Amino acid sequence: MSTMTKNTQQRANVLQGTLDMLILRTLVYGSAHGREIGKHIQRTTNDFLQMQHGSLYPALHRLEEKGWVISKWETAPDRNREFKYYRLTEKGRKQLVVEESQWKQMAEAVARVMWPVAEES
Amino acid sequence: MKWWQIRKRDEDLEREINSDLELEVEEQRERGLSPEEARRAALRAFGNPTLIREQSHLIWGWGWLESFLKDVTYGLRSLFRSPALTAVALLSLGLGIGANTAIFSFLDAVLLRSLPVQQPSQLVVLGDGIDNGISDAWANTDLYSYPFYRDLQKNNSVFSSTASIFSSTNDVYGIVSGRDRTEPMKVQLVSGTYFSTLGVRALVGRALTDDDDRTEGKNPVAVISYAWWNRSLARDPKVLDRKLKLGDTTFDIVGVAPQEFFGTAVGQSPDIWVPMSMIASVPPKWGSYTDKRSESLYILGRLKPGVSLTAATSNINLLFQQMWPSYVDSFTTQKDLADLQKTHVPLTPIATGLSALRGQYSQPLKILMVLTGIVLLIACANIANLLLARSTARVREFAVRQALGGRRSRLIRQLLTESLLLATIGGALGIALAALADRFLLHMISSGPDTIPLDVSIHPRLLLFTLAVTVFTALLFGTLPALRATRLDLVNSLKDGRSANSSSAKSPLAKSLIITQVAFSLVLLVGAVLFVHSLINLNHVDTGFNRDNTLVLNLDPSSIGYMDNEARLTALYKQIEQRVAAVHSVTSASFASFTFGQGSWNEPVFIPGGDTTGAVNIKHNVIGSDYFKAMGIPLIAGRNFGSQDTATSQLVAVVSERFAKTYFPNSNPIGRDYSIGDPNSLLKMQIIGIARDVKFRNLDEPAQTLDYVFYPQRPQYLSNLVVRYTGDSTAISAAVQSTIHSIDPNLPITNITSLDEQVSGSIARQRLVAQLSTFFGLLAVFLSCIGIYGLMSYMVSRRTNEIGIRMALGAERSNVHWLIMREMLLLVAIGVAIGVPVTLAGSRLISNMLFGVPATDSISLISSVAVLLAVGLLAGYLPARRASQVDPMLALRYE
Repeated sequence: MSTMTKNTQQRANVLQGTLDMLILRTLVYGSAHGREIGKHIQRTTNDFLQMQHGSLYPALHRLEEKGWVISKWETAPDRNREFKYYRLTEKGRKQLVVEESQWKQMAEAVARVMWPVAEES
Repeated sequence: MKWWQIRKRDEDLEREINSDLELEVEEQRERGLSPEEARRAALRAFGNPTLIREQSHLIWGWGWLESFLKDVTYGLRSLFRSPALTAVALLSLGLGIGANTAIFSFLDAVLLRSLPVQQPSQLVVLGDGIDNGISDAWANTDLYSYPFYRDLQKNNSVFSSTASIFSSTNDVYGIVSGRDRTEPMKVQLVSGTYFSTLGVRALVGRALTDDDDRTEGKNPVAVISYAWWNRSLARDPKVLDRKLKLGDTTFDIVGVAPQEFFGTAVGQSPDIWVPMSMIASVPPKWGSYTDKRSESLYILGRLKPGVSLTAATSNINLLFQQMWPSYVDSFTTQKDLADLQKTHVPLTPIATGLSALRGQYSQPLKILMVLTGIVLLIACANIANLLLARSTARVREFAVRQALGGRRSRLIRQLLTESLLLATIGGALGIALAALADRFLLHMISSGPDTIPLDVSIHPRLLLFTLAVTVFTALLFGTLPALRATRLDLVNSLKDGRSANSSSAKSPLAKSLIITQVAFSLVLLVGAVLFVHSLINLNHVDTGFNRDNTLVLNLDPSSIGYMDNEARLTALYKQIEQRVAAVHSVTSASFASFTFGQGSWNEPVFIPGGDTTGAVNIKHNVIGSDYFKAMGIPLIAGRNFGSQDTATSQLVAVVSERFAKTYFPNSNPIGRDYSIGDPNSLLKMQIIGIARDVKFRNLDEPAQTLDYVFYPQRPQYLSNLVVRYTGDSTAISAAVQSTIHSIDPNLPITNITSLDEQVSGSIARQRLVAQLSTFFGLLAVFLSCIGIYGLMSYMVSRRTNEIGIRMALGAERSNVHWLIMREMLLLVAIGVAIGVPVTLAGSRLISNMLFGVPATDSISLISSVAVLLAVGLLAGYLPARRASQVDPMLALRYE
């Protein structure tokens, strides 16, 4: 039990404010249910980003409330059970562009402070 | 998201989490784990589903509401678990909050609520606005003549608008055009500027304007009140086509006032407003439009923006000093002119309206408000004690919850929610009780048959007050037990929820609450005893007349065309007196201008050769020859009026004993003269008899200097017909009325009462205060009694073990009995010791409301203390008996 806790702490939690962007980006590939989204983010980052389900579901609901995604209960193709699938809306697509550019600016700004380029200083 | 969608949301979320979790399980199984291992692994990877749900809920932002609703449900369950406690708590809260709400609604209506007009805070009245009637006194500061009003309006520089209002309403029996019967209407004469000064617009038609008030007698128009429009005209939409006949003048209805507008005097809602220019047309046609010395109006002004009350007062006083010298007439003396220099007119803000009720009821209402406040405090102390006892019993529950990780703040919040729940239900009960009590109280303060038109209905401001009281009480009785219950030594409480030596068994907090209750109860009880004592004293006052077996009928000949001072009135009165006296079982009947408690008519008289020089003010009563017989007032000396006294013979008068003693202390007044008015007056009266002193205006006045004048010699409206009878009042009342209507079927009988009702009506206020304070006092004692009983029973049950040991060691039953009683007596004694000085200090505040009993009456104090002790003994007896019957073996084994 204690080792596991330690283990989790060594990995990074998804940065505050970027979760929405990651979810939206994930949904660009097509509709997915909550677990698929979480798994995808985890797998893509080689398990570096740990998905907290306690923040995933509220985030999904928040996005839905804002109209960036819509949800529908659908039967999964490979399993004979219903899942709640989320799909990106047009509004969501635009939002993704906005968030992406914001993130880029932010990352560049941080980078400039952290690793200054000699010629510029 | 809206809070009512939470449940649906939650279901959806649960389904979503479950489906995803299921998937995880399936995947784990596909890796070859057994179903159980798969589930465990899935949960490990996924996290705690309940926690996830809770986190989502938190993010939804309605967490506080959910936990609040849970607390409420839990609170309701725990309230139902102890129904007796809940019932006692709710009852005492309901009564406490109800009493406060009821008294506050009166306090609000009489003292606090602003007039429903524009910017009421700018309105002032000249003088105090207390006197009413018609005066011809020199430089009255409350009442003014119409010419004075016009002059002031023209010359002042501080009012943006000035209005005047007749100082009383005219109770007219008028006719709505098209109907064949008269009906009572309260008519208020006002200046044309009245509505515009107040900023009140008509709901239908128009309000009165200054144009209606320019020429005397030219504008017979009327604005009616919404209430009267509703009551008498059934809210006729064509109301502007209707007409009213008042006396012999027909008035056009030109408008209806808005619903919330009841005039400017609280507790006096006129039905009809008529311009002052019609003053001579509205029965009984009192007052004058042109006489500078007929002072009968209040003058209202709206302060110009930026003008202070002080600045306005100095400007108005300057004008007052300039204008009065121009009113000098032959009666004006040098002393009058000298007095004028010293006269100062105060300006009184009337944001809350004029009110005769206020003078009468403001102190009693404030006192009652304090009393009800104390009752509520006692109720709170009681509930705090009950909750304290219960929370001690719940110590284990809280210990378990805290051990499981419940935060203390969360537990406190839950306990406070329970208190709030209790208080809210109590508050709702209180409002229901208050609504009932209000109607009842209104009846009690209305001395006549009609209730005073006072709006004491449940309105938002009142609800706000009740809400504030409710929350306040919840915090008051809930905080201490909540803090106490959650502050604990976990290990000890879990080991043993019922330790004989636990600190709460000694409960100094609970004891001090009981002491407070006893002290407060003493205050209320002594107050009640003092008020009841005063009321009894008032009831035993010798009125000087016989109040039993009488009827007093009020007739209104002015409505059927009789003029004041008209000799034809004499014939009408004589005829009625003779016919009524002939009715079977009627022994005598007589007209009079006053009977009891109807105000007075004061006039200066000059008594030559008397022991007093100059004019003296005395009270007059104009009566018929059988008045003394009908009232049962004995004549001490001389003779009654008789047929020899006529309109043309020597004017004669009977005087009161006090009159004779004051002005003729060393001589026999019979046969002596005095004159009404001034020494040169034509009204030279000869004293023919002396009547025993009577109470005239109220019961607590000293004997009055009063004279009786015979109506054939001074014809005027006499509103009272006193009838003395033997037998059944209902039958005689009917017979007397039909006799009067057989003389003139149109003569309105406006009211039928009796001397007894008039006397008891005059002490309605004292009776109200006495009855309510008794009720509150008993309530307080009852609540304290429950409190003492509850605490004692609780302590006995906590000390069963100790008592068992004592008895095992040889203590007698009586010793144990005494042990408990001693504890209780000590509490009551300390309570009394604290209560006595508080009571003595408090009773000084009410000394001016007492009659014939000193505020520091030791008998009242001692009897109240005795009552409290007796009640305390009673409340402590049962628990003490239970303690003494403890079986030592059982008690010891119990632990």
